[in-house]
Amino acid sequence: MNISLTSLALQNLTRRTFRTYALLLAIAIVSGAIFSTSTLMWGVNSSLSKGLSKFGADLLVVPKGSMISMKSALLTGEPSLFYMDGGIMQKIASLKGVKSVSPQLFLTSVEGNCCVMGNAFIIGFNPKTDFTVMPWLEDKLDRPFQMDDVIIGATNSYAVGDKLFFYGQDLTVYGKLGRTGIGLYDNAIFLNIDKAYSMAEESHKLPGVSPLKLVRGSVSAVLVQTEVGAKLPFISFTISKDPDIKVITAGNIITSVRQNLVTLFGSTLVMSLILILANTLMISAIFSTIVNERKRELGILRALGARKTSIFKLIVYEAAMLTSMGGLLGVFLGIVIMRIYQRTIIFNLKELNMPYLWPPVSSIVMLACIAVGAAVIVGIGGAFYPALKGSTLQPYDAIRAGE
Amino acid sequence: MIDIHDIWKIYDVGEEKIEALREISFKIERGSFISIVGHSGSGKTTLLSILGGLTKPTRGSVSIDGADIWSMNDKDLSSLRNQKIGFIFQFSSLIPTLCAVDNVALPVIYRSREHRHSWKAVYEYAEELLSTLGLKHKLKAFPSELSGGQQRRVAIARAFINKPAIIVADEPTGDLDSQSESDVMEFFSKINEQYQTTFLLVTHNLALARMTDKVHNMKDGMLLHSNNGGSP
Repeated sequence: MNISLTSLALQNLTRRTFRTYALLLAIAIVSGAIFSTSTLMWGVNSSLSKGLSKFGADLLVVPKGSMISMKSALLTGEPSLFYMDGGIMQKIASLKGVKSVSPQLFLTSVEGNCCVMGNAFIIGFNPKTDFTVMPWLEDKLDRPFQMDDVIIGATNSYAVGDKLFFYGQDLTVYGKLGRTGIGLYDNAIFLNIDKAYSMAEESHKLPGVSPLKLVRGSVSAVLVQTEVGAKLPFISFTISKDPDIKVITAGNIITSVRQNLVTLFGSTLVMSLILILANTLMISAIFSTIVNERKRELGILRALGARKTSIFKLIVYEAAMLTSMGGLLGVFLGIVIMRIYQRTIIFNLKELNMPYLWPPVSSIVMLACIAVGAAVIVGIGGAFYPALKGSTLQPYDAIRAGE
Repeated sequence: MIDIHDIWKIYDVGEEKIEALREISFKIERGSFISIVGHSGSGKTTLLSILGGLTKPTRGSVSIDGADIWSMNDKDLSSLRNQKIGFIFQFSSLIPTLCAVDNVALPVIYRSREHRHSWKAVYEYAEELLSTLGLKHKLKAFPSELSGGQQRRVAIARAFINKPAIIVADEPTGDLDSQSESDVMEFFSKINEQYQTTFLLVTHNLALARMTDKVHNMKDGMLLHSNNGGSP
């Protein structure tokens, strides 16, 4: 290989291997922390945005006292049961600016012979008025949706065409939704609301089964879609006048998740920023030492024809190479650790009501580039002053200082 | 031609001013083979570093081929050091992370692309120089694997890689045995004759000085007198 400024800088890194490896590791820890934190935040944010955009409803009306349960159900997909009179739908539909309303009825299955699985989140919806489930079918049977059909979320292990049974009702998997990152849509099993009422009634007849406590005509939530240009706060305010109900907007959900995000990752990000600053100062101190150690060499290079800028570049390249390698190592370690602990990470995020989808590869690559870029900036920033000092040394003084 | 005119170098050491060089003026014709002798601290190395563009004089001027080198900007002065001057230092001056042939080729990376030969030609010439100096078997050896004398010969080879017009050498044969010293001086002489390269040697070794065309004597920062040496 021909000699060059870059190869010279690279070879300089081999001089004191312990120092090089220690610096590499320090940079790797910081860039790995930045990369992992930003990837997780990105995943939560994007799955939230993606899921809520699929959600399609501008407002969600739920019974008073069930707002937190609803948010939790929506984000984690854990079954949550609450009911209100379905008559509210007509009142809401009559409001100016409301385009359509659609009910959802929440049920859950129990362990035992009556159900194919226990603790499933079963949601009754009205296929005639629905605007949040049917549009997002990714795979379905080649026929219209029927009374005994169900639609399952992406994380469900059943396939289209499979047979299920709940509370003695035989059902067919009609379709499967695309993955959204929103727990309710990924985990739930959707069926016709009339079938859900029948199921609830049948549950009373089954021996040894805890019956579903709901009455025909009740609903758990009303999804509201407003007309283009409608004043959302005004509609929300008007609906909220009813003391027995609460209105949730997509903004409410995003805000509460972001608050959790800030709490969870904010401190990590602050720590990362402090570590960046600490690493920059550490690089600065170490490269000052390096410049002092190599004064004579720098003087010799100047004697051989190196310009001030060449000396500056040599020192900065060395730091940038070191920190970029540290950055790459950090990203690699971040990916490995996140892959190893991905189930734990998703479980813990779910516990905090945070939906999670791994960001697309392009976003991960972009975040990796940002993390490595940050590491390179740490290197260049840290080495800048020592490089400047090294480049402005008088050649003869530098040679003599090294004697 | 090198024109040294009224060179002074004064160092401030605390409140004291030390005159390392005083009122030095002389001219060196192209192709000259000159030595500077004197005791330690007489200012020989300081003078050499001023002539070579490594340290700025407090007063006075140095012109090489009519251009005042101490009026040049960093780019031009660096280019002059790279292309016109070859340095041989009195101490080990090799880069420890580079092997012998890379050390010899090192100055070429500072040449502008338009003045640079192909890397193949550069390395061929570097190998030729090392072979001439008896180091054909040590091309890939690192400085830590070379003796003091071998390191000195690599440094000598490096000084010639850009085929400079002037060689500035500070005790160039310091670490060499008498046979190697004789070989190196023969090599210098050959280059001097072949390319009209100007040689400026600083040495304690009077026998070596006598092999040059002219010997300048220095004492306490001043040039005392010059003698004509013998043919090297």
